[in-house]
Amino acid sequence: MDDLLEQVELLESSANLSTSIGDVQKAIDMLMAARAKIAADPKTAPVTLAKLQDAFKKTLETAQKDLKPIYSGLNKYGKALDKKFKDKPLPSAENDALSSHPSLINRAIAMHLLREGQFGVASTFIEEANRRPPHPEPTPNTPNPYIRDSWEKDIAEGTFNSEKLQQQFADMYHILHELRDARNLQPAIQWARQRSDVLEARGSNLEFELCRLQFICLFAQAQDDDMEDENPSGPLHAVAYAQRELAPFQKRYAREIQQLICATVFWQNIEHSPYQRLFYNDSAWEEVAHSFNREFCSLLGLSADSPLFIAATAGAIALPYLLKMQAIMKEKRTEWTTQDELPVEIPLPSQYHFHSIFVCPVSKEQTTDANPPMMMPCGHVIAQESLDKLSKGGRFKCPYCPNESQPKDARKVVL
Amino acid sequence: MAELTSTKLNAESHLLLEQPLLRMPYELSRRNFKNAQRVIEHSTTTLTSSLTATTKAASNLAAADTTLGSLDTMISKMQGLKRKLDNLHEEEARIHRSAKARLHHLQDLYQVQSLVDVKYDEWSRTRLSRLLVDYLLREGYAESAAHLAQSKGITELVDVDAFVACQKIETSLREGMSSGLALEWCKEHGKELKKGGSMLEFELRLQQYIELVRQGHQAGVSGMEGLEMEDDGMNGVSIGGGVGGETKLVEARAHAKKYLSMNGDFELMRRAAGMLAYRPWDEVEPYASLYSPLRWTYLADIFISTHHNLYSLPSRPLLHIALSAGLSALKTPACHSAYTSSSANASSSTTSVCPICSTELNELARNVPYAHHTKSIVEDAPVVLPNGRIYGSEKLRMFNEKVGTEAGWIRDPVGGLTGEKWKDSEVRKVYVM
Repeated sequence: MDDLLEQVELLESSANLSTSIGDVQKAIDMLMAARAKIAADPKTAPVTLAKLQDAFKKTLETAQKDLKPIYSGLNKYGKALDKKFKDKPLPSAENDALSSHPSLINRAIAMHLLREGQFGVASTFIEEANRRPPHPEPTPNTPNPYIRDSWEKDIAEGTFNSEKLQQQFADMYHILHELRDARNLQPAIQWARQRSDVLEARGSNLEFELCRLQFICLFAQAQDDDMEDENPSGPLHAVAYAQRELAPFQKRYAREIQQLICATVFWQNIEHSPYQRLFYNDSAWEEVAHSFNREFCSLLGLSADSPLFIAATAGAIALPYLLKMQAIMKEKRTEWTTQDELPVEIPLPSQYHFHSIFVCPVSKEQTTDANPPMMMPCGHVIAQESLDKLSKGGRFKCPYCPNESQPKDARKVVL
Repeated sequence: MAELTSTKLNAESHLLLEQPLLRMPYELSRRNFKNAQRVIEHSTTTLTSSLTATTKAASNLAAADTTLGSLDTMISKMQGLKRKLDNLHEEEARIHRSAKARLHHLQDLYQVQSLVDVKYDEWSRTRLSRLLVDYLLREGYAESAAHLAQSKGITELVDVDAFVACQKIETSLREGMSSGLALEWCKEHGKELKKGGSMLEFELRLQQYIELVRQGHQAGVSGMEGLEMEDDGMNGVSIGGGVGGETKLVEARAHAKKYLSMNGDFELMRRAAGMLAYRPWDEVEPYASLYSPLRWTYLADIFISTHHNLYSLPSRPLLHIALSAGLSALKTPACHSAYTSSSANASSSTTSVCPICSTELNELARNVPYAHHTKSIVEDAPVVLPNGRIYGSEKLRMFNEKVGTEAGWIRDPVGGLTGEKWKDSEVRKVYVM
């Protein structure tokens, strides 16, 4: 990369048009001077012009010659580029399943823009996409495109409900902004309270976390002025808040509430108390904002980070492996036998693993709806097809332990 | 699992997607340089010869006013040249700035060692924005592309102007059915096109010929309205008719002589010649397909592919390439399963939604193959509930703690608070090899 940068810097600093422009200016000056001379004394015209001719021609030739460094600079830069990308062909998308569904891509992009908070761009895009609906291009290598008209039509006909989604994400950004920048918990608490039941059923502590943070905020407020006061307003407000708001949490969060109330005893020197960690936790805001973001998206049935982002990143990581595989297949003239599974394993970092994966230890195949994982009474799991093959309908031995069982005793499991 | 979860970032292999990023400014600066070269060369020849002429005239005792007049013209021409060069220089500087910004952007990647680094995340977000802008431009959504580039502050990393120019020519072909802009473009890129053996210019010229012939036939008909039925004795030897039609056809022939005769494809030439005999509405193949308006779509398509080839742009949007790879790499059989996955779902706060299962990509991913795995990936210490769902025991404990299940009982995170609950003793260990 450094050599390329060097080349560009060279082009930028010296090998550019400025020298030639200087030459052209020189030629102009010559013409002007000659003109002035002739205007002053018309008789000198033939001599002046004869003198000028040669000099003028030379200057313009220099202007052309001065282009040479640019030419060679560009050539060098081009060669450096060729070298850099010699073993990196432009990727072709042989298994392009996307060109036949441009409206689905458009919808994904619109949702991505909305969830990134790019509302202005999103509305420009939705407006433009509705004005010029995309044309699907069926691609040869795509296994029979699955047409689910509803979605395809949605965005094409402008019925894609972007306004509702936009409103929801606008709310989310409003609440996040209040949380992160204004340190105002109210909008978030209100949001969580309205969805209290759902959140509770999901095992989310969000509402309580928010209220706890509110308590801490009240407690810490204006404490500096109160130091001398008999009735410190901060802690008193906090306790009043606890009495008013924390009651519904009593059952589930009794321990946490006890901690909060006990902490008030140390109101004068909370920094040196056992509760110091609870009250001086700078990352608390970020954590609560993060968990709010997650819950918000989950309630919409969406993943917390943009799927488009995760997929494009995973794609960039996967691409070298896929291209290598393509090259090998071309070389060996083999076709890839299973259309629904990639022929190579792609090592992605573990944060890109979302589902558990079950590979049958007998057949080495991943289980699917048609061939689900089955647990034998001994607790070992194999794929349905392997089980059928092993048992042939009768009593069989587990391939991993001495246990014998009947196929009917095996149970389907979900990972 | 451990040996596969490689998190090392290989910056070189990441460049696979980045060739167009660097090629584009390079091609643009070459183009810019050539323009500069052309204007200087052109001015040098015209100006030196007019200076020679002026000198000659002056020595032949031309009036001083004439001499001054021609000097003034020369001066203003030179100033025009300088203005042009100034503009090109400005453009040159802009292109170099953007090339430099791109190189710095790529260099940032070499500083990141790991795929799980936050910096890689940031870098990858910028890349996604670039890919999106590229996609939007290719789909003709120039306004959105410019808007996005602006709001992300990546205008130097994308080529909005170049694509807009390309799109303008494409639309002039596809919708405007006119070849003027495209031919101008061919002229500008003549040398490279010839080198690459491009057929674009020939096809455009052929289209011009077709249009001339079409006009000839049409003018012929309007010139001899009603005569059509009377020539039964002529057995199809009917001549073009009207005067306007004749001249158009003659023009077409001259056009063919000038622009088409160099082509070696005699079969095509024969067909082109046959068009003089068959009229657009005769519906006789192969002439009907030459007359067909679909040829404009074809021209627009070859223009795009020629353009992209010349600027080293891949034929498909980079977003498609990245996404197809990514969808496959992430997809599992569970993503389109009829059963809710235990490990990734929206129903509890201890699990997150998989990006392929999320609304945005789910339908798109339906047609791509799923990732290949040779080993099972499950959470530690898996246990199975009486309903057949498998969970990591730690996660199951955490969920039940959070929802406040009574001690000694266990709930299924997918079932939630309203679902069934079982006694602790009913939860069994399961062995996944």
